Amino acid sequence: MANSNSLTDNIYWHYTPNINYSVGLDYQKDKVSNEYFPSARFTYLINRKNAAQSQRNLYLKTGVGLNNSNNHFYSLAGDWETRRLFTSFSIKQSSGVGYDMFEQSVKVGVAPYLGAYGDFHTWLMVETKKNDLDNERITYPVLRFFKGGAAFEISYHKKTDWDIHLMYRF
Amino acid sequence: MEKLLLLGLLLTSSFLHAEPHEMGNMLSHEGHLHEAMVDGKELVVDPKRFDLFVEGLKNNQIALVSVQGMVCDFCARGIAKTFGKDKSVTKVDVDLASGKVLLAYPAAFEISLEDIEKKILNNGLNTTDIQIMSN
Repeated sequence: MANSNSLTDNIYWHYTPNINYSVGLDYQKDKVSNEYFPSARFTYLINRKNAAQSQRNLYLKTGVGLNNSNNHFYSLAGDWETRRLFTSFSIKQSSGVGYDMFEQSVKVGVAPYLGAYGDFHTWLMVETKKNDLDNERITYPVLRFFKGGAAFEISYHKKTDWDIHLMYRF
Repeated sequence: MEKLLLLGLLLTSSFLHAEPHEMGNMLSHEGHLHEAMVDGKELVVDPKRFDLFVEGLKNNQIALVSVQGMVCDFCARGIAKTFGKDKSVTKVDVDLASGKVLLAYPAAFEISLEDIEKKILNNGLNTTDIQIMSN
């Protein structure tokens, strides 16, 4: 998975040995300081509920810096989706050199059409975020596309500029 | 306090019940395989899709697997890849709209329902029903 926004570029590899957890390595470049921050990540699936037309997940995520263990985060994230609707939330506590930040986000989305397996899929979404550092809520549109193992997500807000995610599942 | 309220609201919303079945595109198949079903249940599958799947297949058994939680293309891709790697499976079809997976096996092969369920579960999904037919 690759991600680029106004502050950082990062690339994230993860391996999922079974459905309950995944381990990964994140490599982040800070665009302001030009420093690199590698970190190890762990994601645990706390609960999944499969229904005939929906799936709901609850995850615990954590990460720690490989250069400096003072850089770390933990978060609780969840999602519920059908083929037509998507909702997710995340609360995240991050700590680094000289800062602690609590961030919460919510995303809702709708698929304008229902594609079959293998088709090009599209999601129209809105995300809202707030952290306790600047204490300002930002809300912005998100477009998500995927086909086969590839996914592309793009969003824009005048404060945070463009945010681009690329993902491929092998 | 605001954070706790928000978390409570979100957790509650994530536990919403699933939408009712969209049955419009799922019809009882009335084709040539109907009489060959082994458990007497009504076959619920898109008939055109089913006929396309069995086209060209001879001396095969078909497993019709009903799957819960298959809501996205990534889920479906995982299922298709898993059974695609299984050398005993001669053909795979995944239908996102109906949550059905069609698997073709050679007629002489002894199908393990447990193995199918396990493979579906390893992809994070649940099997609710498996029907075996022969052609």
